[in-house]
Amino acid sequence: MAEENHDESLEFGDNVDMSTFEQILDMDDDEDDKEFSKGIVFGFLEQAEQTFDKMEASLASKDLQELSALGHFLKGSSATLGFVKVKDQCERIQHFGAKKDETGTGNIQDEEYCLRMISEALAEAKKTFNEVAAQMRQYYAES
Amino acid sequence: MAIRKLWVRRGNASATQVAVSPDDLVDDVRDAVIRKYLNSIGRTFDAPDVSLRICPREQTNKAGNERTLAPDEPIVRLIDAYYPGGQKVEEALIIDVPQRRTPKPSPRSGPHLQSYYIAEEIRPGDADDYFPPMPALQSPHANAHGTLPTSHSANSHLHSMAVLTTGQLPPLPSPGGRSNRHRPKAGRQTTSSPTILHSAQISNNHLDHKQPLNGTIPPPTPPLPTPPAQNSDSRNSTTPPTRVASPPPNPRQRSGRRKGPTNSMDRNGATRHHSNMGHVLPTAPASVGLLDTSVPPINVLIVEDNVINLKLLEAFMKRLKVRWKTAMNGKEAVAVWRTGGFHLVLMDIQLPVMNGLEATKEIRRLEALNKIGVLSGSLPDGLLESCLNGDGVDGDLADEEMKSEDRLQDRKAMFKSPVIIVALTASSLQSDRHEALAAGCNDFLTKPVNFVWMERKVTEWGCMQALIDFDGWRKWKGLAAQEEANKTSKKGESKADQRAALKAIFSQPPKTRKEREKEKERELKERENAQVGGPVGGPVGASTGGRPKSPTNVRRPTGKTNIIEVNGNGYDGKNDSSTSGTAVMPEKR
Repeated sequence: MAEENHDESLEFGDNVDMSTFEQILDMDDDEDDKEFSKGIVFGFLEQAEQTFDKMEASLASKDLQELSALGHFLKGSSATLGFVKVKDQCERIQHFGAKKDETGTGNIQDEEYCLRMISEALAEAKKTFNEVAAQMRQYYAES
Repeated sequence: MAIRKLWVRRGNASATQVAVSPDDLVDDVRDAVIRKYLNSIGRTFDAPDVSLRICPREQTNKAGNERTLAPDEPIVRLIDAYYPGGQKVEEALIIDVPQRRTPKPSPRSGPHLQSYYIAEEIRPGDADDYFPPMPALQSPHANAHGTLPTSHSANSHLHSMAVLTTGQLPPLPSPGGRSNRHRPKAGRQTTSSPTILHSAQISNNHLDHKQPLNGTIPPPTPPLPTPPAQNSDSRNSTTPPTRVASPPPNPRQRSGRRKGPTNSMDRNGATRHHSNMGHVLPTAPASVGLLDTSVPPINVLIVEDNVINLKLLEAFMKRLKVRWKTAMNGKEAVAVWRTGGFHLVLMDIQLPVMNGLEATKEIRRLEALNKIGVLSGSLPDGLLESCLNGDGVDGDLADEEMKSEDRLQDRKAMFKSPVIIVALTASSLQSDRHEALAAGCNDFLTKPVNFVWMERKVTEWGCMQALIDFDGWRKWKGLAAQEEANKTSKKGESKADQRAALKAIFSQPPKTRKEREKEKERELKERENAQVGGPVGGPVGASTGGRPKSPTNVRRPTGKTNIIEVNGNGYDGKNDSSTSGTAVMPEKR
């Protein structure tokens, strides 16, 4: 269960904000089996996949409000884990779903544009999620 | 002749040059000196504080001894007169600054290894000595190498090392050098929290103070329960403490997957009391574990819609060893809060069903309607009830607005003070924060929540709440104490008996002063017993806020005139107001 390549596997690149992720790791009582953080991380992976599915569905039904809510939802947990790239895309989805620009301040009238942007952001979110998910699976030596 | 350079130096430090114009006075030189020594002299002194000394050349029969220059002397002419042929480095003017009356080490000295020393040989008026304006910093290192000037002589010339050891400000501690940067860990056992120690101190002092008044009855609050000592040992070891009670998992939340080592994160075995949290006395392990945690035994409501975050916050609460409950939307949060006993709410702002701000407003509205905290302490039971029933002083308001569904159950016991609401917001926008505060939140944390901050918030607010809810706090703290107190204070004497006894005393004819003092002692003692061992529903003044008024409140129900005589200003006993004040006040804190 314990990693041989412990140090290397801690390198998640810029996918993960280490200071945030480390405080999750710090919650582990056992450095080796990392039971708690593993539970959290894999819980997140599961949650993210479900949320992405919901997002796709909402995108199909052009439900911007729901998309915004889903974006916010996933933003919360990805931020908690320090998965910053996923978080950023979720934030974009949240904002565009609320018909706001990327900063969340300016209003956008064009719903089609918002949907298009959300579609882009969702694709990007999935891509970066898959990266981080692979890294995590490797880190926890479970694939 | 244009600008000239003038050598000056401080004590034995290396000399430096300041520029002077031909018609400058000594006073101008002082200005220049202040500018030159901006960090040392300039920081502490003004130009007029500085004086300059001139030392005539050896074997000059002209001017005699060294002297201090008057501010109005023309400096250039003076120098020319003293030092024909030009001033040499060794002839630098000596800068004197007034001695500080009480040189103190910097308050920041804290945990640093360096010790500040003040040279013994420094005496005002000792012409040969230079007194640094700031306490000299002596690093043990420098001392060991003898670089510190030990013999001060006006003519000894020391180089820049001396400046380092004399004129320098103590180093600033690095801002990151805080000691409590650690993250909370399960195995971590800090020493008892300062807060706990502090309050223990207070109550001890308090007891000491009152002991003479207690006559033969032993102090109702014995020293802190001892069990933690052995307990902390077991905690320090890696053996996880046995799980006393598994946290009844929230139906929605899976607490599965975690077992084994995670158990050590369990909170102190306090079972989750669903209907009357905070009211029910904890099981023994809870009071035991409490003393070696740094966070008071508060009850936290976590409101968070994302299970991942919720799990994490829960784990964190476990680690902090506080009780908690969860809610996943605002509506639920209000409902759970209404069960009472919460000290702190961690409120996610963006929530489904009812968002955090709405939930906060609702909680505040209910608190206001039920007069939580505002008047609860200073009103006697009857009046309080009448307020609630709508026929008291605020009857109109209560009648209009107080619907039965708004009434909080068991409000006196379960809602000691307004709950602290800490908003958890993903946004770092200032406007969102203001909105949160405006809605009635007390504080906020930005997500992702930094656990160090979280711990601080929980500790800070928790301590505050624990002190407000002093009885609840005491209950946790002093189970053992309580038992003993109950044992020693006339066994089985109920509140009613005590009241009856008081009544009996007060209905007697006025006493001599000695008798009154005796009574006072007895009464204080009784009140103290009530505070220590009594149930929450005891005398209002003793169990809730508004303690300064409590002496009157306690006795108001008896309705006798001589009460006033005993308690009020009409009584001229020397200990009267002060005694009752001090006897009660420390508990308030």
